[in-house]
Amino acid sequence: MVYGQKHMKGFFAKAQASLYLAIACGLFGFAISPVLASDPPPDGAPASVSVRVYLTEGVVPLDDPLASAWDSAAESEFNLSPQVHWPDRIQETTVKSVKVRGLHDGQAIAILVEYQDPTEDPADAAALEFMVGDQKAHFAHGQEMLLVEGGPVNIWYWKNEVGKATDMSAKGFKTLRPQDQQDVAAKGVWQDGTWKIVFSRPLQTGDEHDIQINPGNWASVAFAMWDGKLVDGAVKEKGSQKAVSSWWNIRAEPAPDNSIFLYVILGLLVAAAFEFVLVRKLRKGQAV
Amino acid sequence: MKSPLISAAILLGGVFAFLKFILPLFTAPLPASLIYLYLAIVLSGIMIFGTMSAGGLEAFMGPIYRFISGEIDGPTKMARILVLIVFPLLVGWQTYTKLAPSELPPAENRTIHPAPPGEFVGLANPYPTNESTIQEGKGIYAANCSPCHGPNFDGKGSAALGFNPPPANFADPGTIAQLQESYLFWRIKKGGVGLPIEGMPWKSAMPRWEHELTDEKIWKVIIGEYDGAGQSPRTWEEED
Repeated sequence: MVYGQKHMKGFFAKAQASLYLAIACGLFGFAISPVLASDPPPDGAPASVSVRVYLTEGVVPLDDPLASAWDSAAESEFNLSPQVHWPDRIQETTVKSVKVRGLHDGQAIAILVEYQDPTEDPADAAALEFMVGDQKAHFAHGQEMLLVEGGPVNIWYWKNEVGKATDMSAKGFKTLRPQDQQDVAAKGVWQDGTWKIVFSRPLQTGDEHDIQINPGNWASVAFAMWDGKLVDGAVKEKGSQKAVSSWWNIRAEPAPDNSIFLYVILGLLVAAAFEFVLVRKLRKGQAV
Repeated sequence: MKSPLISAAILLGGVFAFLKFILPLFTAPLPASLIYLYLAIVLSGIMIFGTMSAGGLEAFMGPIYRFISGEIDGPTKMARILVLIVFPLLVGWQTYTKLAPSELPPAENRTIHPAPPGEFVGLANPYPTNESTIQEGKGIYAANCSPCHGPNFDGKGSAALGFNPPPANFADPGTIAQLQESYLFWRIKKGGVGLPIEGMPWKSAMPRWEHELTDEKIWKVIIGEYDGAGQSPRTWEEED
């Protein structure tokens, strides 16, 4: 009987020690896992895959491409290709890449595009394109796909000689039309061979033909730029002759979620409490 | 006598170095999560082995317990305090990185070579591969395809940069060398918009060439493409 009790006590001590050990290993593994579990980015990944639209508590520069507030938003850069998808293609465009920044304040969004164009011309133009609704749309004006039902696109178009934006819709070639409800504003400034154009709009417009921007949600965006320079009396790039990108990602930052810090503090406390209990137990009984 | 604790540390470090640095010399690098899993398994093995007997348990765990409980002196005492402070901080940091909202867009699993529609399966190229068809095909390629797919058939044309996904690199053994001519015929004729949903047709800039090239020209451009890229089409015989 005595032997049995002693035996049982030893067994429980061992079981307890093992339990602590298991918990310690688990916590330790959780703590060091970021050190081990970090894979390098895959080779050949493009420099930017998304535009981050920063949430600001200051004023969003809705019509000022030169505002200092833009410095607070990191830029993304996307390469452009000549539009080759449709006939009337050209094989070389003036604009090779576009830098993009975004700011919003929970009510309105402003997107700044910046690119090199050596000459300022009346027919210079730029556009942003978005998918509208849940259905995927082809980046070439939401053109028809053969095996997939596609959705429409919303295009924010700006042309130098017009001086303002046009809010447009398309679903397929030759369907591009200005919308009845115009929600987009734009302002461009050309300086020393660089265009800076800011597009702005309320996040939500109530127009079913528009992209509705919900902070925290990812959306698709594509870019197009036209060099309106006159070459032999004709505009160099117009209509489907333009520099384009295919779809990339854009997201307006959500309001910061401070509950994360609650969980961080909770994690800290649990780890500290575990240490406290472990040290106490070890000192008291020498669990082994 | 060597402490079992040190042996265990050496074993763990060795396994990590082997998985992380030596194995990739012979095969593809292991994902970090897999390395982590293997290390966890090795650690469990060490624990079981080290704690099988009462003596082993003391030899294995004794130093750890004495370190944690503080029955030590000298510089080790400082190390103990450091460990006791750093450990909760690590847990807190890790909680933060797990919960912090990601700035990365959602991953997309695009199927690069989805199954073709039935009517394109098993079609044979009606034109023979000879000097004349190769030259003709290369001419059509130069005029229509090379701006994106490149004069060297490597996907590095001058017009390739803006597109995501990028134009296919035919010189890569993972593209046309894996495919039959009938597959290329489908992809050229119907273009990006002809892809099924898993191929994400909305992202592809590949034109629907049936609007601009006859079937004959498409078959010949395929001949020119294989020759130019130094690849040969996959055939039915090889599949057996």
